[in-house]
Amino acid sequence: MNTEAAPITVDAPNFTAAADHEPSPDPGLRIFADRVAHLYRQSNAGILLTLLVGAIITVELWTPRYRDLTIMWWLITIAITAARYALYRSYLQRTDHDEEKWLRWMAIGALAAGVNWGIAGAVFFPSHADDQQVFLAFILAGLISGGIAVFASVWWTYALYAAGIMLPFTYVLATFGNRLFAELAMLVPVFYAANIAVAYRLDRVFAAGFKAREDYRGVAHEQELMNVQIEEQLQELLNARREVEASGRKLTLFAERAPIAVLEFDANATVLEMNPAAENLFGYALGELVGRNGLQMLFPADDFGVNESWWHDFVSGVKPATLSRLRCVRRDGLEIMCEFTFTPLVNDEGDVISIIAQGRDITQQLEAERLKKEFTSTLSHELRTPLTSIIGSLQLINSGVLGDVEKDVIELTTIAERNGQRLLDLINDLLDIEKIESGKFTLAPEIVSLDSVLRDTLVLNKGFADRYNVRLALEERLTPARVEADPKRLVQIVTNLVSNAAKFSPEGGTVDVTLQVNGERARVGIHDRGSGIPDTFRARIFSRFAQADSTATRQKGGTGLGLAICKRLIELMHGTIGFEDRPGGGTTFYFELPVMGDKANNALAQLGAVQ
Amino acid sequence: MTTKPLERICYVEDDEDIQRIVRMSLERVGKMKVEIVGDPMVAIDAIVSFKPDLVMLDWMMPGMDGPTLFRKLKETPETKDLPVVFMTAKASATEMEELRSLGALGAISKPFSPKDLPEQLRALWNTLP
Repeated sequence: MNTEAAPITVDAPNFTAAADHEPSPDPGLRIFADRVAHLYRQSNAGILLTLLVGAIITVELWTPRYRDLTIMWWLITIAITAARYALYRSYLQRTDHDEEKWLRWMAIGALAAGVNWGIAGAVFFPSHADDQQVFLAFILAGLISGGIAVFASVWWTYALYAAGIMLPFTYVLATFGNRLFAELAMLVPVFYAANIAVAYRLDRVFAAGFKAREDYRGVAHEQELMNVQIEEQLQELLNARREVEASGRKLTLFAERAPIAVLEFDANATVLEMNPAAENLFGYALGELVGRNGLQMLFPADDFGVNESWWHDFVSGVKPATLSRLRCVRRDGLEIMCEFTFTPLVNDEGDVISIIAQGRDITQQLEAERLKKEFTSTLSHELRTPLTSIIGSLQLINSGVLGDVEKDVIELTTIAERNGQRLLDLINDLLDIEKIESGKFTLAPEIVSLDSVLRDTLVLNKGFADRYNVRLALEERLTPARVEADPKRLVQIVTNLVSNAAKFSPEGGTVDVTLQVNGERARVGIHDRGSGIPDTFRARIFSRFAQADSTATRQKGGTGLGLAICKRLIELMHGTIGFEDRPGGGTTFYFELPVMGDKANNALAQLGAVQ
Repeated sequence: MTTKPLERICYVEDDEDIQRIVRMSLERVGKMKVEIVGDPMVAIDAIVSFKPDLVMLDWMMPGMDGPTLFRKLKETPETKDLPVVFMTAKASATEMEELRSLGALGAISKPFSPKDLPEQLRALWNTLP
């Protein structure tokens, strides 16, 4: 609640506007309180003076004739003075902020003091000799003018005080019967008025003075607050500078240790700075390149890549640019292929102040990619061509069209054909996964009836399942479901899952194939009664070359790529694939594909009707 | 759908082993008459003189590849209406699409099954108008 700091300049703490309390938030009230406080402060001097003057009067005017009267007056004076002192004490120890009340009491005190002096004048003046009358008149005049100093901070308290003295005394003068005194009585109100005017002016001066002090307090307080703020801001600036310095050091460290080449250019392509990796990349030492034109030194002068016109467009475009195949020239004249990102740094006015280039040598990477591509192409053609002859020959023998062959021979040629086929599957799988992972794989999606794909694929795989003496059982009433998918790849996925299930089923077992449509997704389930998926294998079942154990490869065949391919293919078709334990033993592999909406279904139905 | 049965096939292929397997497959399993041409440069003459019902072309051959030979066939009046089927180990979907638009009947991927090859060819043959 206290929005102000402690009062700043005060003569004595007890005379502050609030001794034990917070000062009033209203500046007008605070000034008023200051003026009341001043009254009380001065009243102390007034009390002392009253006792002193009272004592002098008593002594000077003492006569046995008026003994009782003088003693009574003196007692009254002491009583009033004691009361005023008590008021003064209680003001010092006040716990409230009711300044109006304290002023009222002070005014009553002033009136009482004034009236006391007035009575002294009225009683003692007529009863004493001429010289004593002059003495009394002077004393009273002195008391009237002295009161200005005591009461002027609130002028009307002085008016009450002075009126208290003047009215009884004037009355005595007027009724004394002396012409001179009568004239004096007529002049007294004039003096009174003049004194009131002076008191009033002083009152205003006091008010202005207190106001000035109050204003000064405000200004001083604001300045103090401002100082605190400035101090805080300075501290923040200091902290910010430390942070900037720290991050600068960090950045330098990053750049120095980074394996990426980092260069800084100005807007005219002059090299400003480079890190050790950039020195290694280009074969120049820092000193050989800094201050030189980067375009002439680092890039071949041709129509492609980073040249004058490219640089000009880049700087005026003020956007980062990445060049994934940028030819660069080393110090030894060797050309290297790099990947570079250029980032312009812009000031508040939008001017490019420097350009940061980050890059690396990708020559070897490109060579590796080229080799990989070549290898893939070799796999694709050079391996398949001899396999065509091998598998073709064996198949012709095994099919029996060439006539009867001895049983042992057929057995061996069947083994050879099967393994040839296995080799071919491996090659096909490798090619598939390579294409998918290099992003070169394209699907040929169309609207497919998932139920018919399942029917056809199961027919295709019957022969394979027969070899393991496993029955493939398709759900009797298949829910029709239309999906957008590549039909050839869908057959590949189902074949893979069904043949896996058949391979791992116990002899004489059944692989159940189901199709459910749940809202917007169709779910194909392939359920076997095999021994389940070992715990250690679960996490990596969809990764490449994943097989539960290598003996299975020899016993059951397969490349360990099938599920990896299935997963990627299904994901390319916006579906999901997974597996779960089948209640009662075995495993369920499933995949889900988004079902086509009614619109597509209708379109398909119409298409069917036309055909 | 054509009513004429598929009987005469000319196959242009440089690999002698595959030549023999295809011949055996088509003759023994498919009971067809087969002419094999090993050199694509002389293929057009051989095709013109053999008068096949359908031409099979290998994709990759020394001297001239299958697609080039196919375009030449399309430019030759005597052969331009012959249905052509590619035997390929590496045709991309877009390449195949382009050849289909030029009039290729279809493609059989290598390795093929000699047991099923005649059936596959007849299936393609039956798609002809």
